Amino acid sequence: MAKDPIGFTLSAVNKFAGSTWVDKLGLRKPAEKIAYYSTRTGFQVINTANDRFQKARQLIPIRLSREEKLSSPLFDLSLTEEQQLICDSLNQFAREILRPQASSIDEYGILPDEIREQARALGLVEAVIPEVLGGYASKPACVTSTLIAERLAWGDMGIALALLGNMSTASALVRWGTPDQQQRWLPTLLNHPQANATIASNEPRVLFTPNQLTTTLTPSENGYKLSGLKCAVPMAEDADIFLVTAQTPNGRTHVAIVDAALKGISIARDNGMGVRGAQLCEARFEQVEIDESNLLGTADFNYQDYTDLASLALCGLAIGTCQAVLDYVIPYCNERYAFGEPISHRQSVAFIIANMGIELESMRLLTQRAASRYDQKLPSHREIYLARVLCAEKAMEIATQGVQLLGGHGFIKEHPVEHWYRDLRIVASLYSGLHA
Amino acid sequence: MKVLVAVKRVIDYNVKVRVKADNTGVDLTNVKMAMNPFCEIAVEEAVRLKEKGVATEIVVVSIGPKTSQEQIRTALALGADRGIQIETDEEVQSLDAAKLLKAVVDKEQPQLVILGKQSIDSDNNQTGQMLAALAGMGQGTFASEVVVDGDKVNVTREVDGGLVTVGLKLPAVVTTDLRLNEPRYASLPNIMKAKKKPLESVSPADLGVTLSPRLTTLKVEEPPKRAGGIKVGSVSELVEKLKNEAKVI
Repeated sequence: MAKDPIGFTLSAVNKFAGSTWVDKLGLRKPAEKIAYYSTRTGFQVINTANDRFQKARQLIPIRLSREEKLSSPLFDLSLTEEQQLICDSLNQFAREILRPQASSIDEYGILPDEIREQARALGLVEAVIPEVLGGYASKPACVTSTLIAERLAWGDMGIALALLGNMSTASALVRWGTPDQQQRWLPTLLNHPQANATIASNEPRVLFTPNQLTTTLTPSENGYKLSGLKCAVPMAEDADIFLVTAQTPNGRTHVAIVDAALKGISIARDNGMGVRGAQLCEARFEQVEIDESNLLGTADFNYQDYTDLASLALCGLAIGTCQAVLDYVIPYCNERYAFGEPISHRQSVAFIIANMGIELESMRLLTQRAASRYDQKLPSHREIYLARVLCAEKAMEIATQGVQLLGGHGFIKEHPVEHWYRDLRIVASLYSGLHA
Repeated sequence: MKVLVAVKRVIDYNVKVRVKADNTGVDLTNVKMAMNPFCEIAVEEAVRLKEKGVATEIVVVSIGPKTSQEQIRTALALGADRGIQIETDEEVQSLDAAKLLKAVVDKEQPQLVILGKQSIDSDNNQTGQMLAALAGMGQGTFASEVVVDGDKVNVTREVDGGLVTVGLKLPAVVTTDLRLNEPRYASLPNIMKAKKKPLESVSPADLGVTLSPRLTTLKVEEPPKRAGGIKVGSVSELVEKLKNEAKVI
């Protein structure tokens, strides 16, 4: 029998109808019926398909076309026009303002006021405050905030950490603050050029996790007494407002909005190896008296979201600085000659750079997907956690490789990779780092 | 006073330009595009005029493919009020650009037209001058200072020998040089506001202009690679090389 689809079908059906076991099972009649009907309809189906195929063949080659923009938001992480403009503007700011001063700021550990003023002109705070409260935001945009952190950190992670304090605080007040809290604090952040807010979450102890805090809120006559020691608090010396995480005796975690002028707060510089532009400090709170109105939000406050958003910001910072490393090592390895050719011609160098690129892109994709899920109100805790663990691990790896690729030049301060290496170590230290 | 600013979409100045393998042009695939830096200076100048209360409305116009809307949005984010995009996928040469802009000038009747002195891709330095001629306006090119004084504008021009200040009757065309101002960074709130500003799209045909390129690009080549330097042993060797090899003395 001819070897075409109909032939194969016929022979199979005939074999079935003609076999002896059909008789044994008493299936002879039904089997013949099957053979008859299946052959007839088989011919019909194949012939119609052939007809259609013939018709189609006369026109153009048939392909499944890829849509230019996928309709599913899950996998479309391309930036909106607005996000692109924000990135362009911040890229320029990072390149022209932050980068040239990064190394001296790193050396002296002091962030000049003029940088803060220039950053204020960018309107980071206005960008997260809704129009009715005097800002320009139309909806909460976690993806955009992560991008902002990333682009600033490309310029310098320490400065970025310092500059994000006001924006993050404003964002938390918009997300959870009571009307009174919004009325009280947002105008300060919007209108006072010197106002500074910062976030005090980390504690200097072994196996620290944001879910078990030693900073306590003890109920008192007038409200609460806040006590505890926080570390790695950016810009604490100049802060007017602290957002302090603390636990009540019943185990509930709150974020206290603490006025820096209150009694019982002492600040000491926490000199670390990296992010020195952020002027990290230890902040000690001793029996600081606050009342119910200082606790961020009411029943709708979600502490897990609070820490998740902090993690995303940290991922953004890591991605930005890792991108800086990659952008630096590629031209370096292409231009650095050894043994008569650029060192990038050596596979041991090229493969490292390729891996850095792949890891960085996966950090970015995981982070943006997590942020995008958060913006879409989809479950995102797991995704944010994954992003953070990957960023913490790979940020250190990329930083190390950056120094390694520059050889001796990686060790000296003439090239910025050693600075980025020191900065990127913090990604694995904050918020309980790799061990949360 | 209405100000018209023309902006061009070009390859970002930070990008290393690559020539296509067949030498027919520059490779544009996956290349970051941005606003021509001189056009940015033009936008900034217009915004400063508006902040001083001299200008009342800034209209920004760009010619190019649909994607050139991005550059108009950037200009809107920097402070322009309204955008006009002349959409075409054809190659637009200086004279055609000037004719298209002339049509926009006729429609909008601006008192001042500000353009970059040249675009960093084709480096022609022609459009502003051609537009001034077609529209019958005075021109102040290579401006390093622009002062509007009643119905006049005084433009300080950077020329080879120093500075020349010309007084032009409005309406006039001004083209910007590098030292006119330092463009600001688009602030996030302004970027968010830009989304709501009107952007109208027209075709060259709507403006009654038919594109007629007069130049053909024969060949595009990368500049020759610089040879490495050498160390000379003595002054006399240096002088000898300058005389005989470099032939500069």
